[in-house]
Formats: sequence, structure tokens, C-alpha cells
Amino acid sequence: MQKINKNVVLALLSLTSLVFLLFQLYYYKFYLSQKNGSFFSKVRGSQSGQDSTRWHVVRKFLGLISSHNIPVYLIDPLILGLVDKDIEQIRSSPDGPSPECKYFCAPRDFTTFALVDKTWKQEVSLFRAAEKMGFQWLKIINKDPRLDGMDDLSGIEIPLHYIFKLASHAIHLVVFYERSGNYLWHGPLRLRQHMDRKFVPFRKLQFGRYPGAYEKPELALVSIDDLKVQIPKNPSSFLEEMSHSRFLECRYREARAFFQLYPDDASLDAVEFRKKAKSLLHLAALTLNSLGVKFWLSSGTCLGWYRQCSVIPYSKDVDLGVFIKDYKADIIPAFRKAGLPLKHKFGKVEDSLELSFQGDNDVKLDIFFFYEEDDHIWNGGTQAKSGKKYKYLFPKFTLCWTEFIGLKVHVPCETLQYIEANYGPDWKVPLKTWDWKSSPSNVQYNGVWPVNEWDDVIQIY
Amino acid sequence: MDEWKPNPAVKAHKKRSWYLAWKYKLMNQRALRKLCQTGAVLFLLVTVIVNIKLILDTRRAAYEEEEESAQDYDDEMLHVEVPRHPVSNKKVLDVEVYSSRSKVYVAVDGTTVLEDEAREQGRGIHVIVLNQATGHVMAKRVFDTYSPHEDEAMVLFLNMVARGRILIFTIKDEGSFHLKDTAKNVLKSLGSQVAPFLSWRDMWTFAGKKGGEVYGEKHAKSPALSTWGDPVLLKTEVHLTSVEDAECHWPDTELNRRRKRFCSKVEGYGSVCSCKDPTPIEFNPDPLKDNKVFDVPVAVIAGNRPNYLYRMLRSLLSAQGVNPQMITVFIDGYYEEPMDVVELFGLSGIQHTPISIKNARVSQHYKASLTATFNLFPDAKFAVVLEEDLDISVDFFSFLSQSIHLLEEDESLYCISAWNDQGYEHTAEDPSLLYRVETMPGLGWVLRKSLYKDELEPKWPTPEKLWDWDMWMRMPEQRRGRECIIPDISRSYHFGIVGLNMNGYFHEAYFKKHKFNTVPNVQLKNVESLRKDAYETEIHRLLGEAEVLDHSKNPCEDSFVPDTEGKVYVMFIRMEQEADFTTWTQLAKCLHIWDLDVRGNHKGLWRLFRKKNHFLVVGVPASPYSSKKPSSVTPIYMEPPAKEEGAAAVPAVAAAEQT
Repeated sequence: MQKINKNVVLALLSLTSLVFLLFQLYYYKFYLSQKNGSFFSKVRGSQSGQDSTRWHVVRKFLGLISSHNIPVYLIDPLILGLVDKDIEQIRSSPDGPSPECKYFCAPRDFTTFALVDKTWKQEVSLFRAAEKMGFQWLKIINKDPRLDGMDDLSGIEIPLHYIFKLASHAIHLVVFYERSGNYLWHGPLRLRQHMDRKFVPFRKLQFGRYPGAYEKPELALVSIDDLKVQIPKNPSSFLEEMSHSRFLECRYREARAFFQLYPDDASLDAVEFRKKAKSLLHLAALTLNSLGVKFWLSSGTCLGWYRQCSVIPYSKDVDLGVFIKDYKADIIPAFRKAGLPLKHKFGKVEDSLELSFQGDNDVKLDIFFFYEEDDHIWNGGTQAKSGKKYKYLFPKFTLCWTEFIGLKVHVPCETLQYIEANYGPDWKVPLKTWDWKSSPSNVQYNGVWPVNEWDDVIQIY
Repeated sequence: MDEWKPNPAVKAHKKRSWYLAWKYKLMNQRALRKLCQTGAVLFLLVTVIVNIKLILDTRRAAYEEEEESAQDYDDEMLHVEVPRHPVSNKKVLDVEVYSSRSKVYVAVDGTTVLEDEAREQGRGIHVIVLNQATGHVMAKRVFDTYSPHEDEAMVLFLNMVARGRILIFTIKDEGSFHLKDTAKNVLKSLGSQVAPFLSWRDMWTFAGKKGGEVYGEKHAKSPALSTWGDPVLLKTEVHLTSVEDAECHWPDTELNRRRKRFCSKVEGYGSVCSCKDPTPIEFNPDPLKDNKVFDVPVAVIAGNRPNYLYRMLRSLLSAQGVNPQMITVFIDGYYEEPMDVVELFGLSGIQHTPISIKNARVSQHYKASLTATFNLFPDAKFAVVLEEDLDISVDFFSFLSQSIHLLEEDESLYCISAWNDQGYEHTAEDPSLLYRVETMPGLGWVLRKSLYKDELEPKWPTPEKLWDWDMWMRMPEQRRGRECIIPDISRSYHFGIVGLNMNGYFHEAYFKKHKFNTVPNVQLKNVESLRKDAYETEIHRLLGEAEVLDHSKNPCEDSFVPDTEGKVYVMFIRMEQEADFTTWTQLAKCLHIWDLDVRGNHKGLWRLFRKKNHFLVVGVPASPYSSKKPSSVTPIYMEPPAKEEGAAAVPAVAAAEQT
């Protein structure tokens, strides 16, 4: 009896140990996955309800900036999210007192506002006044990216972020700059050596991890929680824009190094081609944007951006990528209306679609349509005379904004992977001879179009 | 067995008592029991170790994350502030001053603040001004008092230096030939005992406080006319005063804070740093009604001529309708003093690493400045381009505001310029009158963004081409038949006499007598008639009304134009083809206007004023206006002078541009 007891006890003990161990492992795994996940999930939102500190700080801040005539607007995503739900009501009663503090009282560490740089004159008096009101403030400056592309200019560092802290609440003021391409840009938030890392929980700031690009928003003056504040007229579209606003700066330094190695072609032909390519890209962007078709720089145009921040003068055409899910039948007529007739159409919407439009003076616009699979993305190519199909494989990517020859355009965020897939590891070396059927390192033979489909899938004008 | 100590964990402790209880009861199954026991213990040990490891790992992971996220927000670059001058807390400065025929130097606390051993350069008296509290160099000048008038400039400068500053003097080569008594007396009043007796090729060093003590003086007399005095080296000590004593006590305002920063760093700007009643640094000129150029960026192109920049910015900021926020000063080189001037006025300044040399350096600086301007102001359709050696007329922006729409609407226009190349005191009269000309005068002008971005920027001369940017812009490939709008009376005044292509003689001959508008709010006349076709109508009207002058007289003589006022006269000169400017050049020469190349022409027609009469010159037969010539009139031909003079003089200055 006792012997059984002992064995049972031993087994029980082992079992509990095992369970304990498994629990630990599970917890560890959970921890790791959480670590890689979003930071915002970690924001401790204590449910204690109202926090009037925040409301008071925001009110003080709004008072401060209005007394200095500084036009800020609210871009705090959490508040805008709440505001968006009640947008009709807020719009309809711009002045009515609100029964309860709904938006500015949720206890949070900070509230985010935006400021367009050119609408104010950087005045020291603002900070004096802020200090008098009890605010502590921090200014984060960095190089002016608008001058980054230029050799040898210095002297200008611009404020990118301001943080005003009062009691336990902080106001994060993001400074937006207008840039060539008619958009607003905000910089990343980077702390310098001597800065106070504990000033606010920097990790939780929603603006600053990456630089971002935005359209100029239309603003509306509303009254929420009895505070008069400017907000984007359409909060939901602003929030949507924010979710994929990440901006990549061109790699100007590397581009300069590239031109040291391979001096730029300054011939009249190159100048002319670049001018034509630029106006073609501007026209294409205008046309696609007006249709609401999302596109990105692809192939040679993307390589030109990534490698040398300019159009490759011998590339002969402009290449754009579009996800097939964004395809619209209106594309062809819209381009025709814009003065770009269809030159050829290969493939069909279901498979390997590719459109080429004839720009002025020999410059061609190629639009490749990309098909998403589980673990990769591909686009197709067709050889007109043989009906052979090719497939170009890319690792999955997301889209980022960048500025290229005076335009705000998309490029794959994972640009290097994209370029390496297409051009191989030696993409840094300029190649003047390029065969689209054999040169790309990601090309695959993809069979032949059935002859009876040729009329449809190989259209040349 | 008894000594066996189980793991001190709680569970294990419990287990141990169980074992002890069974130990004596199950002796016969000892082997099995022992096996189980060891197995269990091992298992427990493993559990504990894994647990500990887990705890450690989690902690480390958490720590790493902390680090990582902090890194996200860390600037990758190390920004180490480099002090602009070695600053020491010492109260005493060691000063060494050396004077000799071929070399001078000044060292303060072992740091050389002046060294000049270049040949054929730097002759005369070198002056250094130190801050009496910090020992910083506030000004460095050299006055070539071997040459005339330089001593006057030195007196002017010394009078501007604030009391209490430390002054250091040293002579290189020769500094007494044109050192007049006034200057000698000023030096004497500073405490120099030698100055009144300085003579030919003497070597001399002197250090003293303005209005105070003398720190030392050394002198070596030249033994003979053909030889120099022996080199002299003055070693002395200077006691620093407290910062409060070295500063003025202006009321604490934002402006005065800027002023204080400026005045503690540099000297030689006169009353801006005067303790009593300093000159304002904010001007608040009247705003312009309906200002069309309020949002147009203004690029000020500057080099290392801070005194010029100071004068230029003062006039610019005093012009009606100026918008300081749109002004950016581009400095060619990492010079401190121009930047100090920019900061004094609260403007933004950008420094540019010099690329290439001479004219190409200027041209690269222009390109960088223009590109940067349009990058910084992406909305701008135009940019105003100014240089650091220009005075800006009070109605500069008013003039642009009234005419800028033409540049936007009329494709045949190349620029609007504030400068009339032919607008001298005796040839310009009407502040409300505008012209169309085929040349690009520069010197305060408006550039269209599309012209720059689409045409000029892509093919701007590269650094190895030693071209003048403005000459290049005037070339037919760039200008492509387009014209500029200019006023009769210039809205800018070129005061620079030191420059890449500039010297005192040249300035005196071509720029000094230039007319400059000082009347505010001039209402421009007939702006619409400046459009391409309307201008032709206007010219034909003018020519129709013009009285033909007596072509038998000498056009250089004053009597060529009757003593009237407000009339329109026309003369015809010979001009075989479009590029034949032989007679025009001679006429320009005798009228004392710009004759180094052709300026101010419009289809073979020049418009200027003589004796307050509008005076038209038509080139026959190249000009389309030749048809207005009465058949009885023979166009005047003037022969160029004999070659040797012209050929030698012209190329030397022909390239001379208004830099």
C-alpha cells in the first residue's frame, strides 16, 4: 500500500513539475511574441475613467498657442478615432457644451498635435511663455531633409518635434514641413546624447518612430470637451493615411558615392531624356492618382531612385508597378485622354497583365501588374513574337512614400530586397545592356500563351 | 544518505520528509527506491535550473527591448559641440606680436590668430581687436597704409571699435608712406608713443586697450631707405576683465539678446553695438497693400564680406513689403562672421562648402543656393535673387509686386531685374518707367521656378568649367530670345568695391554714378504695355511721336540734344547686322554708360534719357524699327579707336562682372 502511495506521489510530483515547466515555456513564448508585436498593445490604459489633468494641460496648451497665433491641429490617433465615431454630432453642434469629458479625459501620457512649419515664425517668446505657465519643453532638431540631397550645404537644422510637459501629461507637437511634390512631411524623433531619455515615454509616441508623408489636410474647427480645436476635416481618412504614412528618404549619401564611382552623364541627350522622363512620370502620377490607383516605382525607375536618386539616363522608359487588385478598366482611356495612347497590352487581368503607353518623343511608360501569392509577389512578361511567358518573382513587400524628382510616390519599403530580387547582388554596377527576358535574376520561364488567345493577350498598337 | 541535502526549494523540502518516513519501512526495495529518488531529484534540479534560466532570459529580453527601443530614438550621429575659439578661464592672456618685412603674426595664449607670410600680399598695418573679457578675436583688418586713403579707412574703423577692447597692431613690409597725421594722432591717443614718428620701412608692434592702458610697444627703425627695420617681437600680458564690464546694459529683450551675442563676438559695425542709443536691428517698414511678392522666397548670395552683408541686409529689411521669413542667406564657405550678421537680424543662413575656384566657385554657389531655395519653398513659383553687395531700394518689393504677374503670364520673358545697366545719373529719369531688354542684368532679379528647374538646373555649368553664371545665362542657348523687364531707374545699387571681378577703379567708372531710386511707393506706368505685342505697339507709338535729331552734329556733344525737357528724340546709328555693335559701343563710351559689352537693347533699339528727354537710338538697318528712319537721314557711324588701347584694356575687364 505504502509502496503504491510512494510511486503515486512521485508520479504526481513529476507531473506538477512538468506542468510547471510547460507553463513557463508557454509564458516565455507568449512574452517573445508580444515583444515583436505592436508597442501600442503595451500601453497600460488604466480604466479608472476620467483624468482631468490631461484636459487641463491640453486647455493650457491651446491657450498658449492661440495667444501666439500658432495654428496647430489635433492629430492624436486615439482621440481622432473617438471623434470620428461621433463626427456628425460634433459637426452639427460646434458650440454646444458637452455633457461629459469624453475625449480629453481618458488618462494617457500625452496628446499629439501638428503644426505646419511655414504657418508660424519660430519665436523664442513662445517658449518663455510656456515656461511661465509651468511647462517644461524639449525641442528635437535634426538636419533639414529638403537640403539633404544637396552636396555641401550646412547650417540648417530644423525643429522636428516639440514636447511640452506639465504635471504628468505631455503635449507632443509634430512639426510638418512642406516639400517638393506638394505634400507634408514630418521627421523621425531621434534623441541626442545629452538629452533626457526619461522626459516622456518616447516609445509610446505615435509619431516619430519613422518619418511620414501626408497630404495637406483640410481642417475644421470643432469644439470637443468644451475645447475649441482644429482637427482634420475627415478624421477617418487621416487615420487611414496615417496607417501607411511611412516615408523613406532617398539615400543621398550613397547616391553621391555612386556618382563618384560612375560620374553622371551630363550630355544633352541625358538632360533631355531626364526631362522627358520626369514630365512623363508626373503625368502618369496625375492620371493614376486621379483614378485612385495605387502605384509604385518599379524596375529601372526604382533602381534609379534607390541607387542614384535620379532617373537613369539610358533607361529609355519609366516603369511603374500596380497591384492587380487595384486594376481598373478606366486606366487605358484615362491615359489616352492624358495624351498617352496604349502602345501594347500583354496578358490579361487574370494573368501576367502588362500595359505600355507611348509618351512624347520615344519615352515609354510601362505599367506592370503584380499578383500576390502566399509567400511571394510576381509580375509577368510576354514576348510578342513567340508568345512566350515569363514570370518575375519578388519577396513580399509593403509600400512606403518617398520623394522622387518633385513627386511624392510609393516605393517598396523593403527596397533593397526588391532591387536585389530584380537585379541581383550587383545592382550597384551600372549595366547599359539589359535583356528583360534573361538579365533579371528573378525571371522564370512561364510557358507559352495558347495560340487561340494571342489576339487577346498580345495587343500591339 | 543522511547527509544528502535536497534542493532547498519548498517542494523538494516536502518531498524529503516523505522519503525519510519511508526510508526505514522499505529497506527491501532499497535499489528501486534509490533509483526513483535520484530520478525525482534530478528532475527537480532540472526544473529549478530551467526556471532560473527562464527568469534570467526574460529579464535580459526585457532589458534588451528597453535598449533597443531607446536606440530607435537615438540619433546615430555624435554631435560634439566644438568651441569656436579656445576659451580658457584664465584671467591673463599671453600675447605675442611679430612684425617684419615678410611676415607678421599674432598669437594669443599660444594660439596663432593672425599669420601672414604670403608674398606680395598683406602689406600695411594689421589690426586685431580682442574681446577684453574673453580674449576672442572680434575683428581682423589690414590697412595698406602704403597706399593713399587706407589710413582714413583705418581711422574710421578704429573709431568704431568700442571702448575697452584690446587692440593689437603690427606692420608688414611698409605701413607709413600714406599714414597721415590724423591717423598718427589716433594711434597716439590709443597710447602709442612711436606712432607719430613712424617712418619708411619701420617695423612696429603695439598692444593696448582702447581708452585705457598700454600693454606694450616695440619698434625697429629702418636704417636706410633701401632696407627694412629689424623684425620685432612683442611679448606681453593682458589682464582680462569680467564679462559684465565688457558688455552693454541694454534692456533684456529678444532683439537685444541677439545684439548682445553679436556684439560680444565681432567689432567694426559701428553704432549697432553702441551702449547708448544703439541703432535698431528691426525695421518694421510699412507693409505693402496687395503685396504679390510676400510669399516669394528671397535668396541672398553671400561670400565672406560681412560688412557688405550687414549693409545689404539693413537695406533689404527696410524695404517696404519685405517678409523676413522668406529670406535665406547663402554663404559660400564656413565663415563665422557673415553668419553672425545673419543671426543678428534673426534671419536664416546656410553655409555652402566651396566647390571649385574663382568664377566656377561663384557659379556653383549660385546653383546650390537656387536649388536649396526651391527645395525650402516648394510652393514658390519665383525666387528673388540678391547679392551681398547691393543696396535695395525702398520700393523694391513694390516694383516687383506690380510687375511679377507679367513673368507669370508672358512666356517671352526671361526675368525681371531691378537693375538697368544703362541707368546712370545722367541717363535715367523716370522711376515709373519700365523697359524690355534682351540682356540679363542680374543684380537683384526674379527667377521663374520653371525656368530654373526645367532648363537651367539640369545643364548648369559644371565645376570644371570656369564660367560666370551670369554670362552663361546670357548665352543665346539659355536665353532663347526671351527678354527681361527692367526699370529705368534701378531698384538696386551695387556698392561693392571688393570682389572677384571688382576693384575700386572699375567701380568708380561703371557703378558709382548709377542712379538708384529712393522714392517710396512708385506707381509703375503702363505695366500691361510691357507684354510682348503691346510693347511693340508702344515702341511704334514712341517712334512715331519722336523728333529726329540733327544727324550732322556729333552725338557725343551735349548740344546734340536740344535743351528741352520731357520730349522724345530719336537718332539712327549704323548697325549692319544684329551683332554689329561698333557704333553703339563708341556712342556708349562717349556717353559714359556701360560699354564693355552690349546691354539694354531691344531689337536694335536702346532707350535712355538725355537732359531729361527720352532718347531713342535705333540701329539701321538691322533693327526692325529702321523703317521709321526718314530717307533723308544717314545713320551715324562712329569708328572704334586704334586697336592697341582697346585690345589691351577691354579683355581685362570685359569678363568683369558685377560680383
